[in-house]
Amino acid sequence: MKTASSDGIYDVIIIGGGATGAGTARDCALRGLKVLLIERHDIATGATGRNHGLLHSGARYAVTDTESARECISENMILKKIARHCVERTDGLFLTLPEDDLGYQDKFVQACRASGIEAEILDPEEALRMEPSANPDIIGAVKVPDGSVDPFRLTSANVIDAKLHGAQILVYNEVTDFIFDKDRIVGVKVLDHVTGEKSCRYGDVIVNAAGIWGAGIAEKAGTKINMFPAKGSLLIFGHRVNNVVLNRCRKPANADILVPGDTICVIGTTSDRVPYDQIDDMRVTPEEVDILLSEGQKLAPCLASTRIIRAYAGVRPLVAVDDDPSGRNISRGIVLLDHETRDGIKGFISITGGKLMTYRLMAELATDLVCKKLGVTAKCVTAEVPLPGSKNESPEEISDKLSSVYANPMRASAGRHGDMASSISHGNEYDLSLVCECEDVSLGEVEYALENLDVNNLVDLRRRTRVGMGTCQGELCACRAAGLLANTKKCVADAKADLRRFMNERWKGMYPVSWGETLRENEYTLWVYAGVCGMNGHASSKTEKEAENEI
Amino acid sequence: MKLQEQNISKNNFEQCIKCTVCTVYCPVVPVNPLYPGPKQAGPDGERLRLKKGEFFDEALKYCLNCKRCEVACPSGVKIGDIIQSARLKYSRHSPSLRDTILASTDFVGSAATIAAPIVNAAVAMKPAKAIMDGVLKIDHRRTFPKYSSGTFERWFRKEAAAAQEKFDRHVGYFHGCYVNYNFPDLGKDFVKLMNAVGYGVRLVDKEKCCGVALISNKMTGAALRHARHNVDVIGKTVADAGNPVLLTSSTCTLTIRDEYPHLLGVDNSGIRDNVLLATKFLYTLVDSGKVKLVFRKDFSMKAAYHAPCHMEKLGWGIFSISLMKMIPGLQLEILDSNCCGIAGTYGFKKENYEVSQAIGEPLFRQIGEINPDVVATDCETCKWQIEMSTPYKVMNPVSILASAIDVEATRAANG
Amino acid sequence: MRYDTIIIGGGLSGLVCGIRLQKAGQKCCIVSSGQSALHFSSGCFDFLDRLEDGTVPGNLAECLVSLPESHPYSKIGAETAKKYMGEVPEFFAGCGVRLCGNPYRNSYRMTPMGDMCPTWLSLEDFPLAGEPDAKVADRALVVNIFGYLDFNTAFVADALERNGTVCRVISVRIDEMERLRMNPSEMRATNIARVMDRPEVCGKFIAAVSEELRGEDTIILPAVFGLASDEVLPKIRSSFSADVRFVATMPPSVPGIRTQMKLRKAFEHAGGVYLLGDTVNGAEMSGDKVLSISTSNFGDYRLHADNYVLASGSFFSKGLVAVPDKIYEPVFGLDVDYAGDRKEWYDTDLFSPQNYISFGVATSRDFRPFKDGKPVSNLYAVGSVLSGTNALNEGSGAGTAILTAFRTADLILGRVDSSKAGQSLK
Repeated sequence: MKTASSDGIYDVIIIGGGATGAGTARDCALRGLKVLLIERHDIATGATGRNHGLLHSGARYAVTDTESARECISENMILKKIARHCVERTDGLFLTLPEDDLGYQDKFVQACRASGIEAEILDPEEALRMEPSANPDIIGAVKVPDGSVDPFRLTSANVIDAKLHGAQILVYNEVTDFIFDKDRIVGVKVLDHVTGEKSCRYGDVIVNAAGIWGAGIAEKAGTKINMFPAKGSLLIFGHRVNNVVLNRCRKPANADILVPGDTICVIGTTSDRVPYDQIDDMRVTPEEVDILLSEGQKLAPCLASTRIIRAYAGVRPLVAVDDDPSGRNISRGIVLLDHETRDGIKGFISITGGKLMTYRLMAELATDLVCKKLGVTAKCVTAEVPLPGSKNESPEEISDKLSSVYANPMRASAGRHGDMASSISHGNEYDLSLVCECEDVSLGEVEYALENLDVNNLVDLRRRTRVGMGTCQGELCACRAAGLLANTKKCVADAKADLRRFMNERWKGMYPVSWGETLRENEYTLWVYAGVCGMNGHASSKTEKEAENEI
Repeated sequence: MKLQEQNISKNNFEQCIKCTVCTVYCPVVPVNPLYPGPKQAGPDGERLRLKKGEFFDEALKYCLNCKRCEVACPSGVKIGDIIQSARLKYSRHSPSLRDTILASTDFVGSAATIAAPIVNAAVAMKPAKAIMDGVLKIDHRRTFPKYSSGTFERWFRKEAAAAQEKFDRHVGYFHGCYVNYNFPDLGKDFVKLMNAVGYGVRLVDKEKCCGVALISNKMTGAALRHARHNVDVIGKTVADAGNPVLLTSSTCTLTIRDEYPHLLGVDNSGIRDNVLLATKFLYTLVDSGKVKLVFRKDFSMKAAYHAPCHMEKLGWGIFSISLMKMIPGLQLEILDSNCCGIAGTYGFKKENYEVSQAIGEPLFRQIGEINPDVVATDCETCKWQIEMSTPYKVMNPVSILASAIDVEATRAANG
Repeated sequence: MRYDTIIIGGGLSGLVCGIRLQKAGQKCCIVSSGQSALHFSSGCFDFLDRLEDGTVPGNLAECLVSLPESHPYSKIGAETAKKYMGEVPEFFAGCGVRLCGNPYRNSYRMTPMGDMCPTWLSLEDFPLAGEPDAKVADRALVVNIFGYLDFNTAFVADALERNGTVCRVISVRIDEMERLRMNPSEMRATNIARVMDRPEVCGKFIAAVSEELRGEDTIILPAVFGLASDEVLPKIRSSFSADVRFVATMPPSVPGIRTQMKLRKAFEHAGGVYLLGDTVNGAEMSGDKVLSISTSNFGDYRLHADNYVLASGSFFSKGLVAVPDKIYEPVFGLDVDYAGDRKEWYDTDLFSPQNYISFGVATSRDFRPFKDGKPVSNLYAVGSVLSGTNALNEGSGAGTAILTAFRTADLILGRVDSSKAGQSLK
């Protein structure tokens, strides 16, 4: 194993800390390369963290896109093996409603089977027993091996393993420019957003894995990738109404998937083209909320009276097929570009398109190309070697062994970190005390994350631990977590400013759905933070940097 | 399009906005650190349990089901119901022999009544107490309520039933296990009072124990059978000329009115509005001038009223208080709102004894400070607890009213 | 049951109104669905922390005339409001709640962030400063109870040090608290206070802190003392050679809850009936009059009164209800002032003024709310259910609650000519 280069020279530099970038970093590191990953924000902040968290069986694409369907089912089975602590085997149902064409079901089942996806037609009654929240009016149902996947955990596990194998990870660092040596890119100029320092990093191959932002990266390299940003909005409900993924059995459309994930469930999505210059500021509109609700309750009628805790939106990195300059011909599949053959730029490749489900395959393809360029012959092992957290016991096995009083915080952390939870200190009552009461996040887990998981601020902490992701959206826990952050980072002023940003970031997801209990929750939150804590009495936060564009 | 007009799902825990008020009023949290508290056990826990059932914590058994959290909650979350429902749904513990004995109030009661003198002597004897403590884990410091020789029902049939039919107006009476087996005098007082104001009393035909102890001891099947049966027989009484069914126990009242639908899923909508505490019914009559109470001139008593937790939940303490305040010779003090700690069978369990007494301590202290002739309360288990833990005698407001009225004059005034 | 006045809502406003009426000889009933917002109090009452331009008014009485006509203070009238302000300390003292501060001026309190914020009157825990940048102490000992997460000593110490105070932070362990800490979530202010209410525990705490004192002139403590016991606070204050200052904690608020308990006791002691945990679910009206109300617990049995006061609070207490396309008042269906477009309810920046906070029932100048455009003759609205003020942005919640309660009580008692209500302004 090679250790990270201290002189700033690497075999490969990966731009982008989403699932694809993290997966590529891991794959490269496992094949013995010296790796640097550079991410502008935190890991999993782009499209990786802004989707359903659906572990596709591929059934959704079976009719329209056989290639994607085959990739999905193959990756689905791999992730269930290598990322047990990130996925949940819930199964999925494709429901036919009275307004849908039941004839589509046969076509759908045949297409699934042709792609190697198990698809079993169920009686509507049987389907309702399997998932009581499903619309009782269904006239048809098909069971498929869908599941749910936690993108934050998945990305984090890839990063952890990459680091274990010598990779270096730079978060809050942005690539501002490329360093050329004639027709070859030999390095990148980097701006550290935390310290403000600039530096140069050199690598033999640069991988552009920046998702939708990859178009901008390509432009900096002097080439063009035709990207078509497609905004997708989703709603998070306060608790699980379903334990089985619910889909509509028809051609993919708005709000036709309801996914249970951890403590909540998510309905989505809408799909709208947005201008490229808006991709850093995705906000959900009232109209989108209305569409999601009215369509969503057709899948599960109880959504009409279930509390919504947030709305969020992501941007799909859709890429125009390379030989179509008009951009009309769009691929949803994986796009791997060797800019040497395509544009004559040596040492630069782009991996884009695809979806969260196929991140590992994308990483494998990108790494294969990197290795080919470097003359490295090591084979990909990421389909077999489990990720950290899934190496030993599963969360269920850990949970079964817990019997002590107040085991729930430990149970919850095992669910979030898999077998890595054994590194969390839960030895005494102090470590067990709860920071986040909605999600059962203990003080021990918060301190573990602050010390070991590259946490720079409260929003990062949320991605690693679910602090602030429950129904109170940070009202009880944010102040506690800020106190702990202040202790770890030894900077109280930063922690206070960060608390303010964190609460604002939570509000961003709440205001599009601010009625009923969500509005009450916000009023109460304001009494506490603006009133008791006096946080509205200072310089208007309008002058501060706007809250990051986070989920 | 009318979307999200109400954010109320079947389980109303989503209305919780994590304000922490419930934790302030839980009587268990300050004395038992093993209890997760109403917020974690209730709405917070419910979300986690919906994610995975393994998040159910057996420590939920420490909940008294006093409902003080529900009374305090500004969001209308039925926290106590959520906790008890979770126990019924997820707990893997089956009731022990001890729990079964404590919960089967009517079965054990009917057996014990036949042999009352023997049972009373036996449970009071030291060896018997040692067995109860050691084997059954019923705390030896507990005095069992004495079993009466002869049930209330038997007395009623023999001594009272015939006379009741002479009245033009009638009320039903759900006497409950306690009146039937342990303390028929309260039932007799009730009959005396209702007769004096011109109402005949008819018993609910073949009532069963309301089931509150079955629910708290997780004997769900039996509780369901009791609930369905009671809804059925109470329904028959109500259907009979629309007579209300009255009770003298606040806990039985709450169980039949609210726990049946909320915890057992038994539809009681046909009878709920007609199941009333005797003092509420009587006060309503007096308030509207339909009934007059005439009190004895020679009656004199100092009483301290303790509102049982379930009375606080019903919100009907005011009716008992207002009636008692009409008694000229009664000096009435209202005790602070505190739980006595017994919570039915909870306090009888060995593992709960210390907690139970610690919860009741502020109440016992205040009673001592007031030093009344009697403590007034509408709940039989509060009565046991206060009589076991203080030197004071406890009376139901119905009994106080029955002893304070001038029967002849009241009868004449309502003639 | 028949009362002179029935008050819907048992928080600060409802209780103050009830106590004033009851002490004047009326027979009142308060119906409260659950506990009130006093449970999250900062330990201080605010009157008017900020004017619209963001400045902190010094002399409160003088700035009243600059408020818009729709403001509740303007409806009371500047002169009457000033008179009421002066009465507040004595009124609360009569309920066993001692207030500190000048009733006509803003002072400054220390927030849990350690910052100094304008405020009006403080519950006795919180001595106030005259200036925002006043140096609180030369040397301060900032004390926490080990494992209590809702008081951030680092935040407080950091802010103090910026104003020149030398701080030392310690946390104290006491055996009785360790027992509480076995429970991962219940190391809360009120539960700590309940343990501290026991004299022997409080004594141990004082001894532990005394041992740590190294010549500091001020001790800063979280406000977790004296929930049910009146002896704890004086004992803490008198036991050290240094001054003691308390800082508000995250909810629940011990001083707020103590105040709620004292006010309720004062109301009941004066003969009032307080029904907790019951919800008014409807009213019977005839013309412009409310005849009776019904509640969840009482079912068919209705409550009657000559006058009714709506003190049901804002969204939190469900005095107002928001659904996606409207905001309504659930008991009487009163007219509500609010923006029709949902996008106008909020600002995308959390800490900027949120419009929805200022929504509320529309009333006449004598606080009679409107229904279908006409005032209801025997109904009054007080406190945060009212429109015309953004209580959070202005920092005027408690002042509005108390003054509108005083005013309404006086209107009901006929102490003022309602036709002249608010006239003094013009």
